[in-house]
Amino acid sequence: MRSLLKRLKGFVRSRSIHVTVVNTGGCNGCDIEILACYTYRYDLEQYGIYYHNNPRKSDVLIVTGPVTYQWREKLERLYRKVPEPKAVVAVGACACSGGIFNQEGGRVCGPVREIIPVDAEVPGCPPRPEEIVSAIVEVVPRLFRAWEFRRGSEHGAEAGG
Amino acid sequence: MERRREGRDASPRGNVRVVDVETGEEVPISHKVPVGPNHPILKEPLRIKLAVRGEEVVDCKVEMGYCHRGIERIMEGMPWQKAAFLAERVCGICSHAHNMCFIGGVERTAEGEPAPRGLFLRVLVQELDRIQSHLIANAAYFYSIEHETMFVWNMNTRERVLDCIEEITGNRILTGWNVVGGVRVDVTEDQLERVLETLEKVEEDVKAYRRIAQTDPLIKLRSRGVGVITKEHVRRYRVVGPQARASGVPESDMRLQEPVYPELGFKPVSRKRGDNLARILVRYDECLQSIDLIERIVDELPEGEHRRELEIRGGHVDHRVEAPRGELVYDMELTQGGVVRRVTIRTPSVPNIRVLEAIAPGAPTIADAVAVYASLDPCVACNERFVIVDRDRGEILYEGRAREVMRECSRTTSGRS
Repeated sequence: MRSLLKRLKGFVRSRSIHVTVVNTGGCNGCDIEILACYTYRYDLEQYGIYYHNNPRKSDVLIVTGPVTYQWREKLERLYRKVPEPKAVVAVGACACSGGIFNQEGGRVCGPVREIIPVDAEVPGCPPRPEEIVSAIVEVVPRLFRAWEFRRGSEHGAEAGG
Repeated sequence: MERRREGRDASPRGNVRVVDVETGEEVPISHKVPVGPNHPILKEPLRIKLAVRGEEVVDCKVEMGYCHRGIERIMEGMPWQKAAFLAERVCGICSHAHNMCFIGGVERTAEGEPAPRGLFLRVLVQELDRIQSHLIANAAYFYSIEHETMFVWNMNTRERVLDCIEEITGNRILTGWNVVGGVRVDVTEDQLERVLETLEKVEEDVKAYRRIAQTDPLIKLRSRGVGVITKEHVRRYRVVGPQARASGVPESDMRLQEPVYPELGFKPVSRKRGDNLARILVRYDECLQSIDLIERIVDELPEGEHRRELEIRGGHVDHRVEAPRGELVYDMELTQGGVVRRVTIRTPSVPNIRVLEAIAPGAPTIADAVAVYASLDPCVACNERFVIVDRDRGEILYEGRAREVMRECSRTTSGRS
């Protein structure tokens, strides 16, 4: 019975996702491609994904841009604000590797995964909306569906230890 | 100095005064509302500090510095082939304008003229870029006044324009289309015909949106008479682009001084009211004008090569281009052969965001102040050219604190002299 409830929770959770988009100093290219996901042609909302931009209410953090020094602490704080279960999707070449700015003279502190844990990376400068949509639609439900079971096992391990 | 600033924020302007009964001191009744750096209507990180009394906005400060990546520093010592890609990535929305301005500057130091067909194709893509940029700007404004239908319609039409850009250049946003001497790839007749076909539908849509914006009572209620930029503001803050043209300054259009436009019989559009609605309508007008220009470019496209070999002599050059948001300046120093020695970029969003501090305090509600911000078509990624660092402590100073430090420095130096 409890397992059924958990499965139901996971199913419902993976069908209603709120996202927050954070631009950590990118050139806007990725942000407008994410915005383009909301047009009829790509229509992210048909998969139950809503653009919310309130970290306290959202499940997924979409991070674009190389993280500038000014953003470093703020990004960590923003990540802590998002309630569990959460997923982070890094969109764009800058977020994946620092991109064109990660060279001598650039004031960026490297890719996003060195600052917060990242679950999916979408390379491209900027990636096409189809790629962004498919990344979110494939990765995020997979993480959320089994989360109740994973949490249960973690608690069990803690109790056993 | 600290005290003076506090005093100004605390004392309510107007007739309302609240006095503490016991001490007899005036109680501040203004609040500070920070908007950003991450906020639903902001595409980019920026902090707006609003001082409000009830719903009325009495003061506004803009704090920038979240986007500084050091592009100018990275560009130093790079050949133009590499630096052109960096110039494009200053801003993703008006990327083509940045690329065109940088390459135009390099060409001015070169011997010989670029290919005329290349110049025309450059302007063709520039006008397509302008249409998509204006449509996304208007969409952002409608989103900020919670008119989601218009937001989605504008974005849908923008997709068609992006299709045109992809048809010609091969990419949607960052195209890498300009090279010294012309453009990278030639176009065919079929491609141009397909672009014109798509633009017919875009023209219909934009005309319909303009009519809706002019007649819809909801949009009128939120936009007419809100956030008025007067000619005095334009002069004082050096407002550029469609924002200045909406206040009746058509001379601010740099396209009047660019090479190809006079041959096309270009005349800038302008409106007089200077409020949010005027800015929206000017952008729609410019979209329609751009479609006309593209049709004329396709008719008058010169035959011949699309790219020429040029020898770069080097030197100091100052090049200006009308980006979708206004006048864009690249001040460059190049060596012989085209290695960048120093580049300084002045983007149109710098004065356009600055004027917000003057016009937001007149806004009736906080939501209107945010809408005024969106109507200025701000682009934060463009803005961040430098940060001020406290050397002793090694920390970055944000706008507000940086200003204080600069004021302090100027005071101490003037005291010494």
